[in-house]
Amino acid sequence: MSGFKNSEGYKIIENWMAKDGHEPFSFQFKTWQRYHNGYSGMVVAPTGFGKTFSVFLAVVIDYMNNPKQYKKGLKLIWVSPLRSLAKDLAKAMNEAVDSIGLDWTVEVRNGDTPQKDRRRQERLMPDVLLTTPETMHLLFSQKNNSRWFKNVKCVAVDEWHELLGSKRGVLTELLIARILALSPKLRIWGITATIGNLEQAKEVLIPYKKNKTTTIRAKEKKKIDIVSVLPDEVEVLPWAGHLGKTMASKIVPIIYENETTLIFTNTRNQSELWYQIILDHDPDLAGQIAIHHGSIDKVSRNWIEENISLGNLKTVVCTSSLDLGVDFKPVDCVIQIGSPKGIARFMQRAGRSGHSPYERSKIYFVPTNSIQLLEASAIKEAVKTNAIESREPMVLTYDVMVQFLVTLAVGEGFKAENTFKMIKQVHAFHYITEEDFNWAINFITQGGNTLNAYEEFHKVVLGDDNLYKVKSRRISMLHRMNIGVIVSDAMLMVKFMSGGYIGMVEEYFITKLKPGMSFILGGRVLELIMVKDMSVLVKRSKAKKAITPSWMGGRLPLTSYLSHFLRLKLNDALQPGTREKELKFLHPLLARQDKTSHIPKANEFLIELLETKDGFHLFMYPFEGRLVHEVIAALIAYRLGKIKPLTFTIAMNDYGFELLSDQPIPLDESNVKSILSRHNLIEDVTASINAAEMASRKFRDIAVVAGLVVQSQPGSRKNNKSLQSSSGLIFRVLDENEPNNLLLRQAYTEVFNQQLEEVRMQAAFKRIEKSEIIIKRAKSFTPLSFPIKVDRLRSTISNEDIGKRIARIQEQVFKLD
Amino acid sequence: MQIITKNIFCKEEELTLTNQRVFYWKRKETLVLSDLHIGKSAHFRKHGIPIPDNVLKKDLNRLKQLIIYFNPKTVIVVGDLFHAEFNSDIETFKIWILEFKNINFELIIGNHDRLSADLYMDLNIKIYRPNKIEDNLCFVHDNIKIDENYFTVSGHTHPGVLIKGKAKQKIKLPCFQVTNNQLILPAFSLFTGLNTSNCPENCINYAFTDAAIFIL
Repeated sequence: MSGFKNSEGYKIIENWMAKDGHEPFSFQFKTWQRYHNGYSGMVVAPTGFGKTFSVFLAVVIDYMNNPKQYKKGLKLIWVSPLRSLAKDLAKAMNEAVDSIGLDWTVEVRNGDTPQKDRRRQERLMPDVLLTTPETMHLLFSQKNNSRWFKNVKCVAVDEWHELLGSKRGVLTELLIARILALSPKLRIWGITATIGNLEQAKEVLIPYKKNKTTTIRAKEKKKIDIVSVLPDEVEVLPWAGHLGKTMASKIVPIIYENETTLIFTNTRNQSELWYQIILDHDPDLAGQIAIHHGSIDKVSRNWIEENISLGNLKTVVCTSSLDLGVDFKPVDCVIQIGSPKGIARFMQRAGRSGHSPYERSKIYFVPTNSIQLLEASAIKEAVKTNAIESREPMVLTYDVMVQFLVTLAVGEGFKAENTFKMIKQVHAFHYITEEDFNWAINFITQGGNTLNAYEEFHKVVLGDDNLYKVKSRRISMLHRMNIGVIVSDAMLMVKFMSGGYIGMVEEYFITKLKPGMSFILGGRVLELIMVKDMSVLVKRSKAKKAITPSWMGGRLPLTSYLSHFLRLKLNDALQPGTREKELKFLHPLLARQDKTSHIPKANEFLIELLETKDGFHLFMYPFEGRLVHEVIAALIAYRLGKIKPLTFTIAMNDYGFELLSDQPIPLDESNVKSILSRHNLIEDVTASINAAEMASRKFRDIAVVAGLVVQSQPGSRKNNKSLQSSSGLIFRVLDENEPNNLLLRQAYTEVFNQQLEEVRMQAAFKRIEKSEIIIKRAKSFTPLSFPIKVDRLRSTISNEDIGKRIARIQEQVFKLD
Repeated sequence: MQIITKNIFCKEEELTLTNQRVFYWKRKETLVLSDLHIGKSAHFRKHGIPIPDNVLKKDLNRLKQLIIYFNPKTVIVVGDLFHAEFNSDIETFKIWILEFKNINFELIIGNHDRLSADLYMDLNIKIYRPNKIEDNLCFVHDNIKIDENYFTVSGHTHPGVLIKGKAKQKIKLPCFQVTNNQLILPAFSLFTGLNTSNCPENCINYAFTDAAIFIL
């Protein structure tokens, strides 16, 4: 122990910190010491306490203690989920290196890095490279790439909790496996915020037996103040987003009371809307308010980030694009607009304010409909009891494996045996069989099943040297363009006619517009002139009203933890405690729910039936979050369809779901128990998933990741038009011709694992089974059902003959599009 | 395969629409279809996207059954017979077409048909550019300009229709789009998407399923 304290490296760092009157936090010291002793591991620390310097300086100290063990070139690879993080981190690390007096270079490499810098790095890699999982895989697709990684001593994964639980996490696991194969003495470190499954998070990152691992937790804690902003009056029928205008008058004073305020919204569309709402309410903010989201030009984003740091902006409306990040010192207040969806996310956002150690974080919660105040109340309870959800790692993502294999084949080529061993070590593929792996090899060499190879399919070729390689330059190029697992709809660049780039919108949105129509992007009203190649040409518009683009995705589901607290809150909603100002405020709404229908207690399960001119509605309220509701809705529709052939459209939110049919719904007190029964649960769920085409939607991402659908590149002239197809079309073709395709199977299991979470599903039905079922026949929409009814995203499930359906629609009034 | 038919009159000509993406012009013993996109699946495979070769075989098999059913003298394809470059799918087609030596195959050149004229000669397919006029009918790939003197038959857009019913139900189906002076054929190949936002004015949609034709 004293050995480390007396080491030269540590003394240099200690003195360097002491110069500025600092001393290391105990978790930093512990990390350095463990690293010194050869450990890999995980650092758990809140933002603002120097978690970066825990791992970074550990490597620096080790280098200063053992300079001879380090060779020229890459020493530390720093992987972080967000590009915007890298720039400031590099600055901080470079400053540290300079003032310590090391001759290290620290550089960034990601999608924003200019071509000439990349070429220079390829000639001579820096000592420390800050990068993203995608960029690492792109490096693997280059010729002779292994020379860069032979002397790497450490891979650090920053914000691991953000990557874990997504396919980007699997990319990260794979990149570590490959570097470890090239540099066997590699140490692996993760840095994470607090999540529910820390031990598992560590095992996923470092599944290698030869690495000694440790977990280091910072004792330092962030204190959070949560304040709900109450509207002037309760609307008893809470229309989503409807509260906007009236809440602006509450938000503006908060902005003025504080130095700098970050306003978080849940979607890009919402951020555009709120930017307008706030600016309309207080035009004086012009020039001091900015908008930041993933579809805005990176130059503007960089400008905004710099100006937050410099304190030049009063407020920024943003999305999860600013969830993570380096210290924006001036930020002393955060506003969350709309449901925060999860406890961890809410706390992370709160943590963006009061960034210095021991400063309190302050977060205001602004509901977009009054019922969301229930969530505020639930969140407070959860924060109080320190209940934070887990992030479940993804497993057996064959699409990512297929992509990785082709990446290796584009790069240096790979040998099947070694690669299988390497992949099997990775947590995501622990349970992969040789058969599955061989299927993947067949898939990339022959296209499909083993018996007959597809004509003219030569994506990956086995050479005489036993190496699998990609020979075609065009295939290599297409693959490099496609590396990564973030799938979005085809994006188009939006540019001024006179030049100047504004941001990106989805192709889907633009196809609905005609030239001359106006839309809003990056807070500006723009008039569409034309769409050319993959670009949208626009000019400034004077129009007062304009459409806000919606970007697909971005609908976060409520986590199970939060929904649990929500049920509890509803239970005592009518008798709120004295300090529950949200519940007290909601009283009129809850009273109306109680009068027109019922408020479900913790041991009750509420069903509402209603007939309107739209048709016959069935509402159920399991409070399990949007994703689970989608599966339960499909299941109930499937079971009702067995009583009589029916077609339903499904809508849901985090509280419950709606089945809407043009025919009476055969559900009443006599059969409700069997409709909600646990008997045959998983079999029925499987059957209903097939019927509801949920797998086909999951396949959207899988098809892109596995290279079955070529993504068009925004702004590029080549749009690969002759290769365009939709994942839906490919899903159909494969389903008809190659039903054993593993990627199809993955689409089905992803619905299972991610969405319905069998365990959670079983638990939910067990709870429902024990509950008293209450069926209410409502005369109109209730406060609980109304927000579901107005949700625009709907899916259809039907077991009727399509001909009969069309004939009936023809009899009713129908509309063509 | 179930062939359902529906007769309609266009400029005094009787045309037999089917639910199998072709129509038959009985008076001229002519079968008309569009957008076969032969070579599309092989084009994808060549670029590393594994699309099963059954896709083409199923399309050709369907066409064969329609030829047997109607027994036409002439088959007109109003464009996009081929998708891209010469590839193995076209070899398959070359062998397939040998079975129908006594049928005249005619092609109106479409935007995808960029192969050399020799190939069509080789396949014994007569080509027309930009259109073919026969009696009252004008066959063209894309209906950019309509000559009012004729009834125009075209393809290119892969038409589909979206039906919305009560309880927010939606159904999307392929269709023939017919007005008083033109008809747009659905794409014949099943490896194609649907375009529901391109409906001409005052058009009747003849939408179809595996078992029926619907007038919408």
